[in-house]
Amino acid sequence: MKNTYKTLTSDKTSRLRRTLTLLLALVIAISAVNMPAIFADGEDSSEGEQMQPKNGITKIEDLNNKTIGVQTGVLYEDEIKDEIEGEEWMYYKMPNDMIAALEANKIDAYLIEEVGFYAQRYEHPELMRLEEKAGQSEFAVIIGNNDKQDTLYKQMQEFIAEGKKSGWLDQLYDYWVKNWNPNTCKIENVPTTTGENGKVIIAIEGGYEPFSFETANGVSGYDVEFMMNFCAKYGYQWDFWTMEFDSIAPGAISGKYDFGMNIVVDEERAEDSVLTDWYYVCDLVFVVEGEYETEMGFFERMAYNFNKTFIREDRWKLFLEGMGRTMMITVLSIVFGTILGFAAYMACRHGNKVANFITGVINWLIEGIPTVVFLMILAFVIFGKSTLAADWISIIGFTFIFGCGMYGMLQVGFGAIHKGQFEAATAMGYSDTQSFFKILLPQAAQHFLPIYKSNVVSLIKETSVVGYIAVRDLTKMGDLVRSRTYLAFFALIAVAILYFVMEAVLVFIVKRVQIKVDPRRRSKDKILEGIKEAE
Amino acid sequence: MIELRHLRKEYEGTTPLEDVNITINNGDIIAVIGPSGTGKSTLLRCINMLETPTSGEVVVDGQVINDGKCDLNEVRKKMGMVFQSFNLFGHLTVIENIMNPQITLLGRSRQEAYDKAMDLLNKVGLWAKALSYPDELSGGQQQRIAIARTLAMDPEIILFDEPTSALDPSMIGEVQSIIRMIAKTGRTMMIVTHEMDFAKKIANRVIFMSEGIVYEEGTPKEIFEHPKKELTRKFIQRLSTITYRIESRDFDFEAVAEELQQYAEKLLIENERTSKLQLCLEELVMNNLFEFEGDPNIFVSIDYSEKSDILSLELKYAGEHFDPETCDSLLFKSILAEPTTTLLDETVTGKWYTNHTKIDFKWEDQ
Repeated sequence: MKNTYKTLTSDKTSRLRRTLTLLLALVIAISAVNMPAIFADGEDSSEGEQMQPKNGITKIEDLNNKTIGVQTGVLYEDEIKDEIEGEEWMYYKMPNDMIAALEANKIDAYLIEEVGFYAQRYEHPELMRLEEKAGQSEFAVIIGNNDKQDTLYKQMQEFIAEGKKSGWLDQLYDYWVKNWNPNTCKIENVPTTTGENGKVIIAIEGGYEPFSFETANGVSGYDVEFMMNFCAKYGYQWDFWTMEFDSIAPGAISGKYDFGMNIVVDEERAEDSVLTDWYYVCDLVFVVEGEYETEMGFFERMAYNFNKTFIREDRWKLFLEGMGRTMMITVLSIVFGTILGFAAYMACRHGNKVANFITGVINWLIEGIPTVVFLMILAFVIFGKSTLAADWISIIGFTFIFGCGMYGMLQVGFGAIHKGQFEAATAMGYSDTQSFFKILLPQAAQHFLPIYKSNVVSLIKETSVVGYIAVRDLTKMGDLVRSRTYLAFFALIAVAILYFVMEAVLVFIVKRVQIKVDPRRRSKDKILEGIKEAE
Repeated sequence: MIELRHLRKEYEGTTPLEDVNITINNGDIIAVIGPSGTGKSTLLRCINMLETPTSGEVVVDGQVINDGKCDLNEVRKKMGMVFQSFNLFGHLTVIENIMNPQITLLGRSRQEAYDKAMDLLNKVGLWAKALSYPDELSGGQQQRIAIARTLAMDPEIILFDEPTSALDPSMIGEVQSIIRMIAKTGRTMMIVTHEMDFAKKIANRVIFMSEGIVYEEGTPKEIFEHPKKELTRKFIQRLSTITYRIESRDFDFEAVAEELQQYAEKLLIENERTSKLQLCLEELVMNNLFEFEGDPNIFVSIDYSEKSDILSLELKYAGEHFDPETCDSLLFKSILAEPTTTLLDETVTGKWYTNHTKIDFKWEDQ
């Protein structure tokens, strides 16, 4: 017993040491990247002069045989592909990931709409655009493929046409896009809606300034103000769902969402979905990294980054909210999954053919499908038409995933018990239930609890993909903050640390349970409770 | 009183119990003996319904228990069972192994159960191990605890399923003496065993099972000393005789060596003597008789006579004659040359065989 205890402690210390080493390594790596900035401190910066691109790319033809980044699902590359030769396209989830890729020299340039570039340059003055336009894109609204489709389509077309005619759309575009300032731009007057025609679900990216972005007071941006005004005019209640950009169109096509924002107008897309006329038009530009020297010192820069990531707009609240949601999804999935797995085992353990068949098929499916795909199937196919909250869909998904693990654990745990244990109990007159709970379960628990512990840890990590189905969990919140700040370091580290904290808490609880139910850790007093020992 | 009426148990492809009829009276101590695989353990496990009989009836105190209507758990509380593999509950201490069933099944108070358990632990001489876990004990100790656990339930009958088969030979004695102690208290018992000596001394009835039926039944004296039927006689005789028929060159000499080892242990024959016998057998059969053409057909019999202290190897075979004296092996020759070894080699006119070779091994302490 002493030995076990020792291993547990040394395990803990080594885990801690590993974590610290990892953090240290990350800090060193980041500081190395920022090193030039430290030495540049105090020198005169060459402001006013034209910035020069680091890799000498100044024209579109310079991009031949280069690697170019573009956001997944926007299809901008179709506009310019024919004019470049031998290029390689790299696809990124979020526009800001492309900045990091550019600075790490993974890509030589990236393609983005002009608007996005201006927003990014606010925090990254080292970015510069090529003078030549790479094209132009029109952006439309996708209407969800459900029974409201016809009405919503007509209303939206009317709304856009009127907005163009009256100049309201131009005003809105000037305010949010042309004169964009992340510190001052906000929705001045939130319109009031009667909400008499019910609720509409609006899918937005949520990490895409200035169109839709997260603030501590909820989502904001061009798309949000646009849709609020639409809803106010036609008497709808708005419900904004943030998600990965590439989930927006599939979700709308499945009918789950009523509106999907910021969809690039494309012929192929128009074939199988209902797109409105464009509601804004925007140039596309290539962005490269320029020669730029910051005036800020290392620590100054760190403090600035920290402040931006956590303090400004109370962004720390977003991390806590995400952590809360991740914890809720994990804990509920563990609780329900444990019950589900246990129930399945109880139904199957006497060889009931129907129960075994059903359990076998479910196990086979869930083990064979990647988690993200399984969740998307749940969200967009099985619950495609239902308005069940995404949080609950992910809980259902992970309940099944954890339940399958639990079922497997129970099989292993009970399988490891010699059949003589059951026979001895039966021969003495223990009923089936009595022998299961009093003799078999306590022994099986010792076999499966260690696996249970590692399953809990992998579950909490696995939940980080729920952003795909519009759940604002910790990972997604980190992404949203990153997309606001254009700074990766603190947001990612904070997310990692918070995952560690949650894992530590859950593992601690499971370990307590494990010790509690370990018959070998009982004291003599406990074993002989309430007994007078005769001499 | 327990009655077994036309009990039959079938598995796919095998029928360990054909038709068994036994009446167990209160106070009986029944030893069940017989060759391996003749359904002795299955019979025992049918009595407390660990195995469900295919047909027939198990009647306990006038009540049929295998008709599906009977509350088996209540019946089982009256029957104790001691297993070959002990089956103590691994997650519980020794004292809890004995206490918990009393509390759960008989509704005794913790104190009552504890007192009873300590009393029994005293009787089996293991009170000092009360707080140990089963895996900290030797096999013999575990089996003694298992017996105490069974006794704590105050069963009307105890079924022993080869209680000493899994034990190291040095521990068989301690367990047997506990069982003898219980036998003296007049409790009804049924024991499946391979220890003939033990069966002979403890039982008042011996049942010889063969081919799924009660082949012969009687007092220990009747069965062990004057068996009436052929298979019983062969079985009793085989206790001191081993026979093989070698009909293929793939014959498994390893198995012979193993059986010989057990045989020697049981009859207290010196290892050196059995190894000599093994050597002679392999030399004669493997190295010489197998050289002849055609499939071998050799009858081997190994016999030990306690009275004269002679271990003998006998070979009977048909076909060409082989003279052991012409053997090339130096080792074999040196064994033959020993004064304690006697060789008899002859040709005979039997119906099945024409050659007869017999080697006797005596023992002299150097």
